Amino acid sequence: MANITIQNVHKAFGEVVVLEDFSAEFRDGEFVTLLGPSGCGKTTMLRMIAGFEKPTRGTIKIGDRVVTSPDTFVPPERRDIGMVFQSYAVWPHMTVYENVAYPLRIKRIDRDTIQQKVEAVLEIVHLAQYAKRIPSQLSGGQQQRVALARALVAEPQLLLLDEPLSNLDAKLRDSMRFEIKEIQKALGITVVFVTHDQIEAMTMSDRVVVIYKGIIQQVGKPSEIYRFPANQFVADFVGKINFLHAMIDGTKLLINGTDQSLAYRGPLSGSVVVGIRPENIRFDSKSNDLTGTLLSQFYLGDVNDCRIDIGGQVIRVIAEPSTFETHKEGDVVKLRVEEFTTFMDDSFDDHQKIIT
Amino acid sequence: MVKAESALATQKKYFDPKWLIMGVIIGFLVIFQVFPLLYLVVKSFFPQGSFSLSAFKRVYTYKMNWDALKTTLITASATMVFGIIIAFPLAWLVGRTNLIGKKFFRTLFVTTYMVPPYVGAMAWMRLLNPTVGTINVILMKIFHLESSPFNIYSIGGLIWVLTGFYFPYAFITISRAMEKMDPSLEEASRISGASPLKTLAKITLPLMLPSIVAAALLVFVTAGSCYGIPSIVGVPGQIHTVTTRIIDFVYIGTQEGLTDATTLAVFLMLIANIVLYVSTFPLAKKQFITVSGKSTRPNIVDLGRWRIPITLVVVIFAVIVVVIPFLTVATTSLTVNLGKPFSLENITMRYWERIFTRKAILSSAKNSVVSATLAATFGMVVTSMMAYLLVRTKAKGRKIPDFLITVGSGTPSVVIALALIMTMSGKFVINIYNTLSIMVIAYMIKYMLMGMRTVVSALSQISPSLEEAAQISGAGWFRRMKDVTFKLIAPSFVAGWFLIFMPCFYELTMSTLLYSTNTKTLGYELFTYQTYHSQQTASALATAILIMVIFVNWLLSRLTKGKFSV
Repeated sequence: MANITIQNVHKAFGEVVVLEDFSAEFRDGEFVTLLGPSGCGKTTMLRMIAGFEKPTRGTIKIGDRVVTSPDTFVPPERRDIGMVFQSYAVWPHMTVYENVAYPLRIKRIDRDTIQQKVEAVLEIVHLAQYAKRIPSQLSGGQQQRVALARALVAEPQLLLLDEPLSNLDAKLRDSMRFEIKEIQKALGITVVFVTHDQIEAMTMSDRVVVIYKGIIQQVGKPSEIYRFPANQFVADFVGKINFLHAMIDGTKLLINGTDQSLAYRGPLSGSVVVGIRPENIRFDSKSNDLTGTLLSQFYLGDVNDCRIDIGGQVIRVIAEPSTFETHKEGDVVKLRVEEFTTFMDDSFDDHQKIIT
Repeated sequence: MVKAESALATQKKYFDPKWLIMGVIIGFLVIFQVFPLLYLVVKSFFPQGSFSLSAFKRVYTYKMNWDALKTTLITASATMVFGIIIAFPLAWLVGRTNLIGKKFFRTLFVTTYMVPPYVGAMAWMRLLNPTVGTINVILMKIFHLESSPFNIYSIGGLIWVLTGFYFPYAFITISRAMEKMDPSLEEASRISGASPLKTLAKITLPLMLPSIVAAALLVFVTAGSCYGIPSIVGVPGQIHTVTTRIIDFVYIGTQEGLTDATTLAVFLMLIANIVLYVSTFPLAKKQFITVSGKSTRPNIVDLGRWRIPITLVVVIFAVIVVVIPFLTVATTSLTVNLGKPFSLENITMRYWERIFTRKAILSSAKNSVVSATLAATFGMVVTSMMAYLLVRTKAKGRKIPDFLITVGSGTPSVVIALALIMTMSGKFVINIYNTLSIMVIAYMIKYMLMGMRTVVSALSQISPSLEEAAQISGAGWFRRMKDVTFKLIAPSFVAGWFLIFMPCFYELTMSTLLYSTNTKTLGYELFTYQTYHSQQTASALATAILIMVIFVNWLLSRLTKGKFSV
């Protein structure tokens, strides 16, 4: 078990900067997720922790041991790390047992101990009866558990997971999510998990590091990231959100194109963007928060998915299913806003994404 | 200062052995390939130590050399044109239509690629000799001709034999490209209303054009730098090519002879490498169109009522180009008196007995086995490491060894041998002239490319994460090579080994220049028997080699489940 300390890690491939002055501290036994769109540098960061890439500058410590610094570089095979690869990387010419036993064989552990440990870890990942199979006889999910068992068998101080769920089908992904989380809790191991899937990040992590264009956007618990996103990118990438352009007038947020306003207390002034999650808007005939015209509604069973025009800006509202019966397209509706966040208007334009 | 020292200490602690091995290999390539070839080029421009084109002037004002040059260009160009005219329709018929027995034909034409070219020359010499050639005699009898219709000892004869033995190069290149082509491109044309023939003309042919150009240039270069065929069917008719001239000049042995040989060789080398380099351009540029990730089954064109006639044409072609020459060589090896027809009284096993008993032949065979084994083994070590460097590392200049190996294989054999003679006979510290080592090195330079290609393609099919998984499990470089990477590429490694071994085993051209009394090889032995002593003995040797080629080819396709033959 170990803390991971990353100090000012910078990585460039030639001219292209992949990570800029990345600093973070992952605590012992913590499940940390590096979350971001593809190409944001999250996998590169993970591979630098593993030692497959060398940072251009900066220091990485695992526990008290400096593994990467300007004058030290410990190769991956000496870092005592377990890792699950996106492609699983289960060796096709070895049986499940041989795959899982491999890290122990490298350590020259005696045969009986190896057998005992491999059997124990196969038990944990529910593969005990498959020990003699070769990987091509296993399903994707099973191969993935072989990779997990192999990463865990040597009881590493740190487990790295590189998008391990992305090649699984939706159902299997759900169950593996919980299994991995259970195993991590049971073993109390430090985990660094890389994904572009915000649901995986939200459900599994103790803390999430949101990365975009090689820069850390926000670090926090899943609920903090969701409720208090640091900027428009985070708000948009994690979950669904509506952005309304507005002006601050004292304690009022004047929604552009309307004479409507929301109450505001905060440090910002001038032109801003108001972020409202679709589930934080309710149809409420007694409310005075916002008024708009219902453009379209889609009955999805558990919710009514609506588009509402507010002075030329269209927002999405996820309303109670019963509202589908009580309202029709073209109605003027009153809305109550339960929670919103405000950002400086940095002309970030991903407005279309949420509507479509 | 202290910091630097500690850095050194940690660097040392985690020293990576692969860089040492690669350094040694690159050193080897520099000393034994780059240096000799560069020396040859420099020497041709600076014959007396100062820049001068006098050597070029002298060589190329000599009429015989001009004629040789002209003959080389004419025969190589004609072989290229005929080779493509034969290879493209064949590749299409075998790859895209319901030709009867197409798998068999594919194997047949691909196998001829592995056969030493001089075998064809030997056979056609017997068949089309102007006075006693079997076909000539038969035709004269049938049509009551005054003189024989064909003369093999002519430019036409040379082109005929060259085409028969070099069209498989084009056939293989074009077939592979056709297999890689996304068949849905053709299907889209059919669904748009085009007939199979129209699809062939408007879609398949234009998409194949880059590969056809590459195949054509490959045939041009290999035919132009061939020595075995022109030395057997050209020289008796006073027809010289650049390669035979070079060997003549070397045999003259004087300083002037060597300089002239150098000058001609440099010309040949530059032409060959420039042409091969140019041929990769259209391929590289257009590749994104033809290559698709999915390997779907190509749609098969139904030849309809033409199916049987076309199959018959292919059968006749195969009989003329493959069966007749091979049978001729085989029967020659059993014939007592070559002047009489092949009949029961005229059969003997004595030449077969001879090749398995005569000491000189056995010792040459042993030399060939030893040098081919060494060349194949070291060649695979070199190419595996260089393939690893190319595919798996991000080292700067990782493409250079691949480039060097490609240049080596594109360089005509006579040139490689000449370059080694001039630099490795004690003039520059190293003296390995007259040893097997110089032969092994020459073979490696010429044939390593085959190993390189197989290992590179095998390595690029294995996800690097398999190796990384071993690394994160704690395995050092040697360990993960042994446990994971090597195990996974082993079939390709074996295939590559044989692909280097076979051509080295029966090599003629370089051996002719590099042999000494103790290091004669099978190819050389065969050649001297053919030219001076006994055609039957030479034919017996050739037949034995043929049988071995077929066996190894069969073994290879079994070993790699059909992935590699050739």
